[in-house]
Amino acid sequence: MSLNIRPLLSALKRNPTGALLVALQVAITLAVLVNAAWIVHQRIEKIEQPAGINTRDTFVLVVSGSSNKFDIAAAESEDLSYLRGLAGVAAATVTNGIPLTGNGGDTGLYLHPGERGRLVEAADMSFDQQGLKTLGVSLLAGRNFRPDEIEPYTPGKQAPAAEVIVTQALARTLFPQGSALGKTVYGGTPKTIIGIVSNFMGPQLGTPPYDTVIYPTLPGQYGGYYLLVRTQPGKRDAVLHEAKHHIGAAHRYGVVQYTQTLASAKRQMHSANRNVAILLVIVTALMVAVCCLGIFGLTTFNVGSRTRQIGTHRALGARQRDVVTHFLVEGALVLAGGALLGSILALLIGNWLTAHYALPRLNLAYLLAGILALTGVGELAAWQPARRAALIPPSVATRTV
Amino acid sequence: MTLSEAAMLRMQDISKIYRTDLIETHALRELSLEVRAGEFVAVSGPSGSGKTTFLNIAGLLETFDTGTYELDGRDVSRLSDDARSRIRNEKIGFIFQGFNLIPDLDIFDNVDVPLRYRRMKAPERRKRIESSLELVGLAARMKHLPSQLSGGQQQRVAIARAIAGDPALILADEPTGNLDSLMARQIMDLLEKINAMGTTVVLVTHDPELARRAERNIHIVDGVVLDPASQSHLPQPAPQVSGAAD
Amino acid sequence: MLGYYIRLALKSFRRTPGLTALMVGAIAFGIAACIVTLTVHHAMGRNPIWWKNNVLYAVTMDSWTPEHPYDPADPEHSPTMLTYRDATYLYGSDIPKRKALLAFVQGVLAGAPGQTAPLWAMTRATDSGFFHMFDVPFEYGGPWSAAADRGPKPVIVLSRRTNERLFGGRNSVGRTILWNNLRFRIVGVLNHWDPKPRYYDLSGGGTGNFGRPAPAFVPFKWGPMLHLFPNGHVSCWQAPGAKPIETYRQMLGSNCVWITMWVELPTAAQRERFLNFMNAYWAEQRTMGRFQRPRDNRLWKVSQWLKLHHIVSNDSRLLLRVAFAFLAVCLINTIGILLAKFLRGAPLAGVRRALGATRRQIFAQHLIEVTVLAVTGSCLGLALGAAGLAGVRALYAHSYSAYGALAHFDLIGIAWALALAAASTLIAGLYPAWRIGRVSPARYLKSQ
Repeated sequence: MSLNIRPLLSALKRNPTGALLVALQVAITLAVLVNAAWIVHQRIEKIEQPAGINTRDTFVLVVSGSSNKFDIAAAESEDLSYLRGLAGVAAATVTNGIPLTGNGGDTGLYLHPGERGRLVEAADMSFDQQGLKTLGVSLLAGRNFRPDEIEPYTPGKQAPAAEVIVTQALARTLFPQGSALGKTVYGGTPKTIIGIVSNFMGPQLGTPPYDTVIYPTLPGQYGGYYLLVRTQPGKRDAVLHEAKHHIGAAHRYGVVQYTQTLASAKRQMHSANRNVAILLVIVTALMVAVCCLGIFGLTTFNVGSRTRQIGTHRALGARQRDVVTHFLVEGALVLAGGALLGSILALLIGNWLTAHYALPRLNLAYLLAGILALTGVGELAAWQPARRAALIPPSVATRTV
Repeated sequence: MTLSEAAMLRMQDISKIYRTDLIETHALRELSLEVRAGEFVAVSGPSGSGKTTFLNIAGLLETFDTGTYELDGRDVSRLSDDARSRIRNEKIGFIFQGFNLIPDLDIFDNVDVPLRYRRMKAPERRKRIESSLELVGLAARMKHLPSQLSGGQQQRVAIARAIAGDPALILADEPTGNLDSLMARQIMDLLEKINAMGTTVVLVTHDPELARRAERNIHIVDGVVLDPASQSHLPQPAPQVSGAAD
Repeated sequence: MLGYYIRLALKSFRRTPGLTALMVGAIAFGIAACIVTLTVHHAMGRNPIWWKNNVLYAVTMDSWTPEHPYDPADPEHSPTMLTYRDATYLYGSDIPKRKALLAFVQGVLAGAPGQTAPLWAMTRATDSGFFHMFDVPFEYGGPWSAAADRGPKPVIVLSRRTNERLFGGRNSVGRTILWNNLRFRIVGVLNHWDPKPRYYDLSGGGTGNFGRPAPAFVPFKWGPMLHLFPNGHVSCWQAPGAKPIETYRQMLGSNCVWITMWVELPTAAQRERFLNFMNAYWAEQRTMGRFQRPRDNRLWKVSQWLKLHHIVSNDSRLLLRVAFAFLAVCLINTIGILLAKFLRGAPLAGVRRALGATRRQIFAQHLIEVTVLAVTGSCLGLALGAAGLAGVRALYAHSYSAYGALAHFDLIGIAWALALAAASTLIAGLYPAWRIGRVSPARYLKSQ
């Protein structure tokens, strides 16, 4: 089978605008497709970033005073002993925020006394010796808090924390060289790092997600506290229901503000990324579909307006296969032109996104895969009208209008 | 205006050159001719002689390079596209070899087309359409599509469309070329009937049999007219004379 | 002629139903995608109180530490909230026509007839000026008096929702309710009022910047009076060697910023006077050792305030751009099909020209055909857009995201659809219609 490109090009020349318009569609679609796929990839990577904590069996109960007569310290210890005695509870603690939600505090830590030198921002959590177990975070170096180190809440007096635990990521941010264990950091009072734990996402999402410092104090400053509860597998909902009911009725001046499972916190944290990814996929898929219909339409038009010519070719001995090939190659030329323009466009958009949205530089493998995929489906779209062209009988050549 | 009152179509020294990148084709070379009002003239000549170019220029479908053209007493040589459209619409009726009916409009709507562009009121349009279809004997087929009619019938619809606007001049380009001889005769009868009602008819054909039915014959060869009768007002008569069918 | 052209267009569609459906579909989907993203994008960037844009001003001062800017990622900008000390001083000025301080405090509502469990209600602590400045509508009663601000008097305003939950929507004005176990008199119940974005407080507290307004409102001074720590966003810094903040009183005297302040300054003269007032205060405080950063006393219009807070998200911009790229592809597709279709019909246009149609008439005929197509596509796009918005709402049903909160069909969406339809018609139709209008009348008349 021989392919003659020159007559093909001259055929394209007769409807240059049509071919140009389809190539333009291919170009825009390719550019958007490639960059959208790249963005979706980044978002999925973010979604798949491990939270570092047990989100499956853990929930938070937010207790708030309804009056300043609410004795927070007493209520905390009352709730903790209730929860720790409750069947199905694996561990429980009282804390000052909800991991993964942005609902919590952060601290500025300095490396030198008197709050001088480099400032490191970190999310902060405070809980007692059961906190690590409740979150499902493992101790990598040093030790956990001892019960006698835990400072209960005293109204009007924020407890100074002399010992802190940090995540591995924060340890590295604070002390890029050497071990952080045993070192002292400053923020209000000097604090000695007594333990380093595996990375987990703290309550603050703005700071680097894994930089968290943990204080051995019990919260209450803002008129309430968060009960963090981890249940045995499968018992979460039952325990949550029971605990909410009990604690809601336990305090004369306190109410259960709301409850939240960490699973739902995680879902919400990812929802923006997930939904943007879904919307991008939908629009891009529609775009590819429209682009294919464009190729389909152009080929159909070319076949329709060249019926006699095709018949003549057939009369002169072209096989059906030759006719199909002719139109597929014609489509491929348009696709190739579009892909070339689209690659340039894709790279330009990629650069722009890198500059303005802090997106990593476009991976060229994505561009290549995009070109292959789009030309593949494009050829598929040209195939049906090309086959119809092959079915044109040679006799149309001799028929008058 | 220096024209005799009776001239419907008067061309003087009309030249038309088609240019492509490689060649220049002189389709008309200083062609001059005159058709009087009410005449039935046949224009004949071999293929490539310039007949079609003449017809296109006469019908204001194309412009020309040099010379002047007066239609119904008005110089139409250098009119704008809009003005020429208007004259086509009001003064000229076309009949083509290929009928050129609009396939998805029914017969009524096909005859309606030129009247629409004249922005005529609906009752007036209806009256004209009906009477011209009556004249060609197709009043009963008003709601049919062209594809439902025979070739001869389609050409009669085209004639009805040409006369519906009550033009002063009918230009017919090989109107029987696609028809068998019986139908061809019917078409010629119709054209004669229209001519008898006072409309000037110019028939372009290469068929001498048809040409013979016209009052006068004009021969175009290589872009010039060979008939002295049409050049009677010109100072230099053409050297050759061919038999006129007067 | 219009009717005639429309009739011709319909005939033309009947001749090629597949291509017509393809073009209508392409326009519809393209427009729908744009409507969805534009509606949300527009709503996000909307100024809900545009009619007072030149009247209301948010007040900021750079009270942050000389060590580093408030937001290291955006060093240009000062804190968007005020310290208690600065806010109460500036509030003392009588230059503004009206003024209000805004914060969140915790609140528990109890004691309504038939109420079984106390209702936790994050409460907006503010001043009577708030209701006047932001044109807050009341269903029953009204704002509390200026005297109640000063007292403070135990008066409370409930949101419409809260009133429905506690009193079944009946007029509860004059009744007494327990707020944080204290007896408060209800003076007003809001009517439906839910501006999005929540422009008057963009600190992210409560249900977020696109969330519902607070369920209850009390005079600002009740926070300090009852030592209720702020329940919204609080940012603090401490001078080297300063003692940690332990008591509420210490917090009030600290550098923590947590109060949003609005003033109503209708005239340029008032604005200038108020700025001078701020500058004088700044200079005086500076001699006492505060305000060690460069002076940055500012008054923000609502529109500037929204821009400052980057209320329009990058994701929204991204989706908007993708949607327009999609519409572009749809329109290019349509141009291609129309061009092919029109040029295939060129011989018929030639016949019409021969019969006396002017170029303009041929152009008009084809442009009308495109218009009918685009209008049909746009109507369909409108319906698809409405469905798309419902889809987006479902997608975002469980998050506080603006994208879900704002995905509601509105007049602006419809206006956009009409504008896009008109633009699409022009873009998709002008060139093909122009091309066919230029067809030479003589070219196609001879049969091959």
